[in-house]
Amino acid sequence: MAKTVTSPAVETFAAGIETAVDVAAIEKQLHELWHAAAETQPGSPERQIARASLFNFVVFCRTEAHRDHATQVLSTLTSYHPCRAMVLVVDPELPKPQLSAAISAHCHLAAERKQVCCEQIAFHASGTDVEKLSATVLPLLESDLPTVVWWQYNFLQSVVVFRQLVDAADQIIYDTSSWDAPENQFGALAEIIAARQHSKFADLSWTRLGLWRELAADFFDDPSCRAKLNSVRAVEIEHGCGPGAAVRAELLASWFAAQLQWPAAEALAKIRLTEREDRDVTAVGIISFVIRASDARFSVRKDHGELAASAVVEMPNVCSLPRKQAFRPADEASLLSQELDRASNPFIYERALRMASQLFGRAGKI
Amino acid sequence: MRELQASINPLREGIAASSAPSPCAFVIFGATGDLTHRKLVPAIYNLAHEGQLPTNFALVGFARRPKTHEQFRDELRAAVTEHSRFQPINPTVWDSLSQRIFYLQSDFGDPKGYEALDGFLKKLDRDRGTAGNRIFYLAAAPAEFETIIDQLRPSGLIQNSNSWQRIVVEKPFGSDLATAERLNSVLAGVFDERQIFRIDHYLGKETVQNIMALRFANEIFEPLWNQKYVDHVQITVAESLGVETRGGYYDQAGALRDMVQNHMLQLLALTALEPPVSLEAGAIHDEKAKVLKAVRLMAPDQVSQFTIRGQYERGSIAGQSVAGYRSEKNVAPDSCTETFVALKLLIENWRWAGVPFYLRHGKRLVKGVAEIAVQFKAAPAVLFAKEGCAPLSPNVLALRIQPDEGIAIRMNAKVPGTVMNIQPVKMDFRYGGSFGVRAPEAYERLLHDAIVGDSTLFTRRDEVDRSWQMIDAIRNGWRTASPPVPYESGTWGPPEADEFIQKDGRQWRRP
Repeated sequence: MAKTVTSPAVETFAAGIETAVDVAAIEKQLHELWHAAAETQPGSPERQIARASLFNFVVFCRTEAHRDHATQVLSTLTSYHPCRAMVLVVDPELPKPQLSAAISAHCHLAAERKQVCCEQIAFHASGTDVEKLSATVLPLLESDLPTVVWWQYNFLQSVVVFRQLVDAADQIIYDTSSWDAPENQFGALAEIIAARQHSKFADLSWTRLGLWRELAADFFDDPSCRAKLNSVRAVEIEHGCGPGAAVRAELLASWFAAQLQWPAAEALAKIRLTEREDRDVTAVGIISFVIRASDARFSVRKDHGELAASAVVEMPNVCSLPRKQAFRPADEASLLSQELDRASNPFIYERALRMASQLFGRAGKI
Repeated sequence: MRELQASINPLREGIAASSAPSPCAFVIFGATGDLTHRKLVPAIYNLAHEGQLPTNFALVGFARRPKTHEQFRDELRAAVTEHSRFQPINPTVWDSLSQRIFYLQSDFGDPKGYEALDGFLKKLDRDRGTAGNRIFYLAAAPAEFETIIDQLRPSGLIQNSNSWQRIVVEKPFGSDLATAERLNSVLAGVFDERQIFRIDHYLGKETVQNIMALRFANEIFEPLWNQKYVDHVQITVAESLGVETRGGYYDQAGALRDMVQNHMLQLLALTALEPPVSLEAGAIHDEKAKVLKAVRLMAPDQVSQFTIRGQYERGSIAGQSVAGYRSEKNVAPDSCTETFVALKLLIENWRWAGVPFYLRHGKRLVKGVAEIAVQFKAAPAVLFAKEGCAPLSPNVLALRIQPDEGIAIRMNAKVPGTVMNIQPVKMDFRYGGSFGVRAPEAYERLLHDAIVGDSTLFTRRDEVDRSWQMIDAIRNGWRTASPPVPYESGTWGPPEADEFIQKDGRQWRRP
């Protein structure tokens, strides 16, 4: 049975310090904490706290280190995306079955010195108790609020848990940059997305391509430039050697090919990906792309320092100064925030995935 | 090989048309003034902080006082340090921005100053890639607007066909219909309407923009948003501050011209407009203009029936004694300028026939608050009256614009217990609670929109003309009416304002 909640317990909770709770009494314990918080409020505005939640946010982690990282991201993210966060460490390999929980809060100072707080419920599931996770988490989802699942690892390798929770998810966020050999899984991923039309899938690798795709699209709003699209001879993409750089280059190349309606064989002939040779570790992600057409060259290059990209058109009778545009912040909290604000178009992504599967999967030749 | 459709950009699919700001030079006329320091440059810094400024951007201050680029930058750094919403100042962002800030000294009427400006901007085009695009921001005294616009025409500053030029005009936009029309004509002689951005910073506030979302993104409200269900609408913009350092200007302008002509009539238009055909600027301007055209103009003999004006006397606010209006600096000791105004406006269209819109604004009131309150007709009381319940309170939907931006709904609920007792309760949604404190400030949003060329949140010529027509009609009636009635500072205005609404069987809200 949950203990009576005291004022120090409220302060511990609001300070973001985890308190272990009985898995069966999580909702009750939270209710008592909020009740106690309400009672401490009169006459002390600096201690006033309010709970806020716009969605349920379920985060899947493999290790405690991943969980700590997720908690850190949530402390930033909740300041502008308040939610009920459930952080799950799932370790089916551990022999000992265990399911434990802890609660804490992410609090942010709002107007008039009030604190606005979001709950975080952390679970650790191991052994066969992993199977109990969905039945534990589902009742804790706040009703009438969307549910977003952030899978910190490859969910295709956690089929059981994925199937149990995916139906409850309105949006599933993951990052193929952190997967092993994602090229070989693009096809399966595309199938899952096509089969789950009611859920929005967001790949942070794809989110990171946002500015690159925007700048590429900007080139061809001009009819004279657009006319060159039928004569594209080559698309050359240079990428860094950092984690996930290659997969982003593959997705960008596949997007070009899919949108330009190239058959796979034509795409294989026209696309060239190169990894920067100097192994500069600061050159993360995409470094540049060039679209070569007859009489025209369209290029975008990341500037030194990586704060902006310059787009250049080289075409007869076209006078074009380099156009620069700043990159949006690319830390995980910012990427998640972008997807929560406005989810990417899933159809375009799915189309690019299918192309990527053909070009870079096991059968691909690039 | 498959041929792509020539009319469609295949790479644009699923990607919003670029709202990325183009390279530009941002020229502030009156760059040493309060507005530049308190609002404009902090907003520009905030945009830089958020990565929303074009990389090829330059800010050029243009004003009378002699100073160097470096002095100007130092002053602006202090202003940003004091007024930016991002604290502390990020030195990397500031250093990058400050390298793109420049200052030119000239009288506003001196053609040589504009020649120098033209040359300087062309140099920036070459050195900084600003591409010939310019925004001219009139932050100088209104008396200088015409002089500046006249000088822009012959100087060659706005004649580059391969680029764009825009002008942003601060309020007050004229002092009556005649002066507004004159200013519009002067502007139209140099700029197309598409290039003119008349700024009303109220339209940059998130809650004001949310009026459209609330109305048209929620099916539950719009069916009730008409004369069948709405009893009346109250729009309140109350200030606890007095005229501060603006006594000279304010004594000429008064509350009606300072607040009602622009901010409050824009709030009314957004509250009452019909669904626009799209969210594009032209479509929204069309609907706002229609509403303003439908507001009944007051005949001189109706003005005392439909308006109340007041002037604050000494009193106390938050425990501090404050002076009366006539004792304020640069205010005439026998001034008859109104510092409080209450209006009853009628919108003569199908949706709003018979629904009064009460507008109330004053200085030195109890507190600073701005809200739009839609009061619905009361539910029939017959059911609960039989149980001895007090008369039911009507439902109210209040859109709070400042402070604590949010939306509140007042509804009736049963008090727990064995007897049927009904009490009004409030459901309160606060932006800060749900979305945190990440909203850009009004100027930030508006400057960004001006840079990307989106005029949705600015006012169009016909809106300005019509609002001045309404204001002039009221002022015309006031000429022969009794002077403003006094009210004590720290109150909700003159008692006559209460009588004004009570005679309609209604009451002012206490927001």
